Amino acid sequence: MRRLPPQPDELIDRTRPLTFTFDGASVSAFEGDTIASALLAAGQHVLSRSFKYHRPRGEICGCGQCANSLVQVGDAPGVRACGHAVQSGMPVVHQNAWPSLRFDAMSVTDRIGGLLTPVGFYYKTFIRPRRLWPLYEQALRKAAGLGRLPRSRAERQWRTEYRRRHCDVLVIGGGIAGLSAALAAAERGADVVLCDEGPQLGGSLLWEGGAARVRQLAARAEQAGVELLSGASALGYFDGLVAIWQGDVLHQVRARTHIAATGAIEQPFVFPENDLPGVMLASGARRLAELYALAPGERAVVACISDSGLNSALALKAKGIQIAAVADLRTDALRRPAAIALASAGVEVLPGAAVVRAAGKGHLEEVMLAAVTPDGRAREAAQRIECDLLATSAGMMPSGSLLLQAGGQARYEPALHRFMPTVLPDGVHAAGSICGYEDVDAAELSGQIAGLQASAGSASAGTGTGTESLELRALRERLESHSAEPLTPAPAYTRDGRRGGKAFVDLDEDVTVKDMALAVKEGYDVIELAKRYTTVTMGPSQGRFSAQGSARLLGELTAVPLEEVGLTTARPPWVSVPLGVLAGRPFEPAKRSALHAEHRRLGASIRWAGDWRRAYDYGDPDGEALAVHTRAGLIDVSTLGKLIVRGPEAGELLDRLYPNVISTLQPGRIRYGVLLSDSGRITDDGTVCRLDEETFYVTTTSTGATAVEQWFSWWLADWRLQAHITDVTQGVAAMNLAGPNARMVLAKIADFDVGPESFRYLDARQGQVAGIECLLLRIGFVGELGYEIHCPGPNAGQLWAALLQAGADLGVRPFGLEPQRILRLQKQHILVGQDTDSESTPYSASMQWVVKLDKSHDFIGRWALEDAAQREPQSMLVGFTVPSGEVPTEGAVVLAEPGGAVVGQVTSARRSAQLEQSIGMAWVPPGAAFDGARITISDGQRTLEALITTKPFYDPDGAALRS
Amino acid sequence: MRFLTAGAGARSPLAAPLREAGATLQTLDGWQVATHFGDPALERRICGESVGWADVSHRRKHEIQGDPAHLEGARPERGLWFRLTPERALLLDAMTPPEATGVHAIDITIQLAALSLAGPLARDLLARFCALDLRPETSPPGTLMPGSVARTPGYVLCETRDRYLVLFGAAYGEYIWTVVSDAGAHLGGRPVGLDALRAGELPVSA
Amino acid sequence: MSFLLRCPNCGVRELTDFGFGGETSSRPSARPQSRELASYNYFRRNVAGRQREWWVHRSGCQAWFLAERDTRTNEVIWTALPADAPPVRSAGSQEGHR
Repeated sequence: MRRLPPQPDELIDRTRPLTFTFDGASVSAFEGDTIASALLAAGQHVLSRSFKYHRPRGEICGCGQCANSLVQVGDAPGVRACGHAVQSGMPVVHQNAWPSLRFDAMSVTDRIGGLLTPVGFYYKTFIRPRRLWPLYEQALRKAAGLGRLPRSRAERQWRTEYRRRHCDVLVIGGGIAGLSAALAAAERGADVVLCDEGPQLGGSLLWEGGAARVRQLAARAEQAGVELLSGASALGYFDGLVAIWQGDVLHQVRARTHIAATGAIEQPFVFPENDLPGVMLASGARRLAELYALAPGERAVVACISDSGLNSALALKAKGIQIAAVADLRTDALRRPAAIALASAGVEVLPGAAVVRAAGKGHLEEVMLAAVTPDGRAREAAQRIECDLLATSAGMMPSGSLLLQAGGQARYEPALHRFMPTVLPDGVHAAGSICGYEDVDAAELSGQIAGLQASAGSASAGTGTGTESLELRALRERLESHSAEPLTPAPAYTRDGRRGGKAFVDLDEDVTVKDMALAVKEGYDVIELAKRYTTVTMGPSQGRFSAQGSARLLGELTAVPLEEVGLTTARPPWVSVPLGVLAGRPFEPAKRSALHAEHRRLGASIRWAGDWRRAYDYGDPDGEALAVHTRAGLIDVSTLGKLIVRGPEAGELLDRLYPNVISTLQPGRIRYGVLLSDSGRITDDGTVCRLDEETFYVTTTSTGATAVEQWFSWWLADWRLQAHITDVTQGVAAMNLAGPNARMVLAKIADFDVGPESFRYLDARQGQVAGIECLLLRIGFVGELGYEIHCPGPNAGQLWAALLQAGADLGVRPFGLEPQRILRLQKQHILVGQDTDSESTPYSASMQWVVKLDKSHDFIGRWALEDAAQREPQSMLVGFTVPSGEVPTEGAVVLAEPGGAVVGQVTSARRSAQLEQSIGMAWVPPGAAFDGARITISDGQRTLEALITTKPFYDPDGAALRS
Repeated sequence: MRFLTAGAGARSPLAAPLREAGATLQTLDGWQVATHFGDPALERRICGESVGWADVSHRRKHEIQGDPAHLEGARPERGLWFRLTPERALLLDAMTPPEATGVHAIDITIQLAALSLAGPLARDLLARFCALDLRPETSPPGTLMPGSVARTPGYVLCETRDRYLVLFGAAYGEYIWTVVSDAGAHLGGRPVGLDALRAGELPVSA
Repeated sequence: MSFLLRCPNCGVRELTDFGFGGETSSRPSARPQSRELASYNYFRRNVAGRQREWWVHRSGCQAWFLAERDTRTNEVIWTALPADAPPVRSAGSQEGHR
């Protein structure tokens, strides 16, 4: 396409030339060009190959609405060439064609396509034999799809900023209706945001001769305080949250009210060979001419159904483009003023006529025009007209997907021959051509009305309802004086009756009229089914140019009126958006203990444990575990959940939550407890320590802390006892000093007597250790003499260092999570969630001793446990050893006999260096839950014989623990 | 329950990233606090022009619990008082908790890490990782908003138009610092010390 | 889903601020028969329409509250702390909050 002489409203800056590359070749452009306008100016008319048939495709709308203009820019596939500003040096490559755009080997599917790729072809063909699917998939993936994603992380570097914005009114669409709505709302004090997907605000007036008017309006809106976002697509409406993508920013806007001023989309005709490059929308041709000073063709034919097409013909003619003919579907078209103006300029206007076929080799060369019946058949021999541009205008479809996503409805209005929004949800308004106001003044008025309505009662706007309703009424009366322009609806499909030539209903997905007919024939005869079967409207343009056309065609094929066929709802996103834009910044909320820096310094391997980053080991898990048995070890257990339960009825609350009695606990004493659901299942476990008459300190599992806090406060909310729960998990650090030398270490730096008589097993003491205020719990998860020392997180580093220093000559060594797991397994101490699941009761988990059914209290889970106590569990949790020394995989199954049925599962398994044995825990049938019973473990290819041990493997009587 | 209150030599939950960012530490109320990061003058300017973020985890926080009828009676004269629920209030910047019948106080200073965001872009910075409506119309100075901060439970207090206090779980210190630094640096901000905050119009601690 | 919910203590927040506690049911006041216990433990009404349900403001004040929500549209009719919740209307039911 050649460049026209400078145009008054052109966006290009001819004083600033630049170059970029397309498929490696250098292309000249001006600043302000889009990739597409620059390529077209350089004579590149084919921008892409189509999805299925790999047919050459050119520019259609000039504003990035269709899939024809998708290109790859650098490492970003799916970039809309006609919506993306060109930048110096930008590397642009084509998509979906191999080896080149000019010669695409896959276009063979087009020539023999009738045989190979009817609709449903993949579903029907590649289903058998199933085992070949991976092979089919490989080939199909290569043949279909658009663009290529870079594989390495380094190639995927870009940054998106996420920005929350709250406002009173969000206006979507920056044409005359949207701008006047935003201005009206802002002038009444509302906090307003307006977004528009075009590179400049102004909408269609930018290329329809009203640029000055909308620019002035935009300036006034900005002055009134409206936040204006251009180049910003509203991706979707999510329960009032609108995501707006503006280059490297994703705005997440929460508005009290919304105004959809998203406009209407000019529709194409459907006729044989309607996808040839050179067939464009009239608005697209005008846009190229006005904004980018491109001659969209040299000899044009215009096909239309209303005055807007005639006006486009006049506008193109004024640019010096020869208009070979105008086919206006209206039989009375010649009476229209624009037709008279065209006729007087020597342009032939054919009333009642439509385009019934296009032809050309790789590009449009001629069109056939003929008078047509209402269902689109040529009444006469077609008139052949040579041309290189066909500008079509087959009516407007409201751009209503956001409205529909918001819960609005649209219906076909037979009297107006168009879809119209009918039901608007609360707080959602619509203005402009989406409501059928094509006339500029009417659109502006409807915008003002919507702005007034949307700002009424907003937080920051004044009320003044009386005067505003008068103002509204006056505006409404003025709006009602505007009438819609007359039009003749386009047939679903116009054709000359000759064989051959594909007529596309959906260019994105290469869906033809024939495909739709086949779908109906096979029974997919309602639009939602036909959509899913043929994928019509499911391509990147989300039905912008095919939703109305396919609905109309389906209506015709099934003899159902269009108002009953309805429209499909376009799902978000409104434009193709890189997943990286939606992904968020790459930071994962991670909890770290106050001792995290010490673990790093000690070279710990740090791993995820729930939402914590934990020291898994310090390089020698076996050695670390052995140190706990022989001397002493120190482990960071700050991840334990810690709750303070306080108040006159705190004991009562805990009695109702635990299956044992808590209220009888003496201050300074500790009791182990499990938490149950009302179905008697174990949900968590931990210790309860009484600090004073009204205060309890509850510990939970590391992963259960939040759930337990919520569980407690939930029942508290229901029972309304006088108690309060404070979660101190994150602020209080804890470390477990365990091993035969633990007492000696502690004695060196504690300010109180830690002797075995004064600080007994299950005692709790508050005092200073190394000058730091601590709570010490004498408990033994790892099975040796141990002290769980709780202290303020900010002092934890000092305490950790002091304990290691005091224990240096006593062999104290830090140990991680993995050695702790070995140690606790030796004691058969369960890990809730690892050894238990949602079926486990204290009885089946061999922990009947934690349940006190003789307590007078009702407690959560009591009734279910009373029932469970009467029955034998289906499965029991027991320990086992594997004499061969092999360690089964956790999750391996237990078999009734070698090769027999599955009767259980291994939950934990480790090799114990201390016991020099392979040990584990497993669920087995009650009949096998006795010491010395033999079980068979099937673990992938291995079959292991194991022996049941119901008592702890290490120190079964707890002598070490109590020492 | 003295083990809930930090003693001498207390290290902030943000100590590791502070050290990495080159903080100069001093002792304040028994806590090691970052007074500056090498260039106090630049840090003051940042707080006037874009946004600086400063660790103020040492600021005293108490949770006051009790019968709804008694709770308001426990409100002390000093410190910032926010009613969270009918039974709970958050008291900021009071060195000693109030004593009253029917209520009790728990020192939760160590539970919540705290960042002060100071500067004209403070609200823009928050909008990068927080969905709370912090517009002056809805959240004027003095408003405490409990809610999600960078996908973790937290509180945002608008102290002045240009200064916000963000409270969040101590264990999330390093994570939140990463999130704030990432977004803040992109806005032209940087970490600042308490010296830069003190230059502002608000006292750091009551 | 990204609708808003009004925490009775903190005000309107994004849905992601909250945890869902499910429909309210009634914990039997005394030892129930097996059938009643099973029904309480394992059966939910799962209505298509308005239901009373539990929510917790887990990212904010941590408080549990009740809401009436239309499960088909996610319209939230009211939210309230248990002490302030409107009485349950269904006839003959001794329903508590659970």
